[in-house]
Amino acid sequence: MPERLAVIPELCSGCRICEVACAIKHFGLNNPKKAAIRVVLAYPHPVMRMPIVCCQCKVPVCAKVCPTDALRRNNGIVSLSEEDCISCLKCVEACPFGAIYAHEDCDLPIKCDMCSGDPECVKKCPLGALRLIPEDTIGESKRINNILSYTQMKEIEFYERGEKKIIHYAEIGKEEL
Amino acid sequence: MSIKGGYFKKGLHIDLGTGNADSWDIPDSFIEKYIGGRGFGAKLVWDNLKKHDFQINPLGPENLMVVAPGPLTGIYLPSSGKCSFVAISPATGLYGDSSVGGSFGIELRQTGIDILSIAGKASELSVIFIDNSRAKIIPMPELKGKSCLETEGIIREHLDTTSAHIAVIGPAGENMVKFACVNADWGRQAGRTGFGAIMGSKKLKAIVVRGHQDLPVHDVSGLMEEADKAYKYLKEHKYFRMWQQEGLMNVVEYANEKGILPAYNFKDTIFARHKQINGGAMLADYKIGDSACFSCSMCCGNICLVKSGKYMGTVVEGPEYETCAMLGSNLGIDNFAAILSANRQCDELGIDTISTGNIIGAVIEGYEKGILSLSDLDGSDISWGNEDAILELISKIAYRQGIGNIIAGGAHHVIKKWPEMDKILLQVKGLEQSAYDSRPGGSMALAYATSDIGAHHSRAWTIAKEMEEGQNWSDEEKIEIVIYHQKLRPLFDMLGVCRLPWIELGLNEKHYENFYRYVTGNQMLLEQLLDLSDSVFNLTRLINIRLGMNRKDDSIPYKVWANPPLSGPNAGRIIDQNNFQELLSLYYMKRGWDQNGLPQVKVENSFND
Repeated sequence: MPERLAVIPELCSGCRICEVACAIKHFGLNNPKKAAIRVVLAYPHPVMRMPIVCCQCKVPVCAKVCPTDALRRNNGIVSLSEEDCISCLKCVEACPFGAIYAHEDCDLPIKCDMCSGDPECVKKCPLGALRLIPEDTIGESKRINNILSYTQMKEIEFYERGEKKIIHYAEIGKEEL
Repeated sequence: MSIKGGYFKKGLHIDLGTGNADSWDIPDSFIEKYIGGRGFGAKLVWDNLKKHDFQINPLGPENLMVVAPGPLTGIYLPSSGKCSFVAISPATGLYGDSSVGGSFGIELRQTGIDILSIAGKASELSVIFIDNSRAKIIPMPELKGKSCLETEGIIREHLDTTSAHIAVIGPAGENMVKFACVNADWGRQAGRTGFGAIMGSKKLKAIVVRGHQDLPVHDVSGLMEEADKAYKYLKEHKYFRMWQQEGLMNVVEYANEKGILPAYNFKDTIFARHKQINGGAMLADYKIGDSACFSCSMCCGNICLVKSGKYMGTVVEGPEYETCAMLGSNLGIDNFAAILSANRQCDELGIDTISTGNIIGAVIEGYEKGILSLSDLDGSDISWGNEDAILELISKIAYRQGIGNIIAGGAHHVIKKWPEMDKILLQVKGLEQSAYDSRPGGSMALAYATSDIGAHHSRAWTIAKEMEEGQNWSDEEKIEIVIYHQKLRPLFDMLGVCRLPWIELGLNEKHYENFYRYVTGNQMLLEQLLDLSDSVFNLTRLINIRLGMNRKDDSIPYKVWANPPLSGPNAGRIIDQNNFQELLSLYYMKRGWDQNGLPQVKVENSFND
């Protein structure tokens, strides 16, 4: 069953371990600029650190623009055929996330191949910001977060027989009653 | 040849006066002896001093500013994000260095250079742009007076780059405030010893770097294995998760408990309302994200947001312990949001939060004691915890308005103007003391006194160890630990890595011997590396001696030997001046220096190659 590489930007600290780990795994080189994943910092508020990596789209725009049909989706992974690729970099421009990369030393575009299903970046991320999850569970945490914010859930901590417990409760304003 | 990786063996020298950028080859002997970072910087600064016959104005064009990452900077191993700034400090007039985290150093290395040195003075406000070893000096007078964060945004737009890393100065740097800092990657600072002022004196607003070269590693698979072992050790440490969550903010609680947290300008060393400014307070209401330097799994940085009240909307990368203590308890501020606001203001203006908090604390006490009059303070009735007055004063320092103009001259200048302030302001060699009290720990007092850059904790942070297990240490033991720290901690700065995994989570220092070997191919034992680090410590000592420093500058602040903390576990404790002088004499002896603190002649000769 193919799993997806999910990114949880709220957990990302911007340490870029994923970048180096990816580059070392694929090229044997300590060069974050040769990674298929990059952490981008958003301005003006330096709040968001967003790891950008291929989503392995089911309708891959990169494949659509590829003139030599070098990008194909098999088994949940959009993979790049080294024989067919002419390195025109059209895919790099076309990807809506900018998740395919190029480097002047490299003959081919640098694209995430999911390390054949066992991504190095996921293993090395110290904060769990990168995860491998089944497709049907994508978005679960967002849904929960939404519910919590809609109902203005609050939490309270208490101790029961020496054990710390947390209760979530909804606070309803008096004016609403 | 034993250096097989770790270096490009290229230096880049930029003269802002002539506009020339010259690349030079770094000889192997230089690399082997000085390793990198602060080691490279100290040697180049020493050579430059000799060239100028030891007559250097820190804010003159002749002061060489060296920016140097180390051979491990940017490498896959824990916390390899450090880059050193080295020059003669305008705050002390002596050797100065400061290191910055984030990713600036990595990007600088990826342009293919190991050392960037900058001399001269530009005719108008300029920016250095190093794009893959092509260096350009771009005049950008429109950046005048712009804040650090704004400047970074404008430069990105102007140069059309999101991936570059930028080190900038703010208005404080342009106005040559003696404790102005360099701000990199939005929220990381080379804070101490006044590098903002040096850049300001050179009319250099920013250094922009963008590179994509491979960092040379001799044995990648060996390195991977060793690094993964180290990462694994850290991950399994019982305090690892706490470090990720609170970062350095956990130290507030610790320092308060141990009685080393500065409160009210070190009058006290516990703070009654510490719960309002500690890591717990931050986690409960303010923290919205983590922030890490390159390849660091501990991510000690925090991103905080004030969600309500007067300071609503303030976002800042920070605070960390020093900031929180110096701008918080040290000024009697118990409002976390106000600390965040002050932190943000310092970041925008580009001044060091440690020095700022220290010196404002002294001003408040000076006013309280009647040394400063209301008119000295431009009519601002400043007092402990008075947030508005303190925030206003921070801005006045950066823009050199009114009393701010005097404070901007740093500790030396304040004491010159009001000699009585010498009894109140905690400083060594002109550098304002960091946020660890040294009265309960003889080793910490010695560490501050003998640190080459002044009263900063980075050279030897022995206070925790002494508080925990050193209450009965003999003088020899105190000296031993100070010297060991003074060897090991600067080694981290030379290698270009952070010391926190070692000091806080106990990562074995032997790992660094292996990292160094895998990266450079150079077979060196930890002891040999420590000897090299020690030799750089001697070199910076020599620099200071030749610039006129002597034994009396290895001093302890007045308060440390005269005014004990008022309450807490260390109430009543001081360092006896006579005991301290004995300790210092013994320290000199152990160091092989004479009783004036002078290294032997043969030591000096070893740096003259």
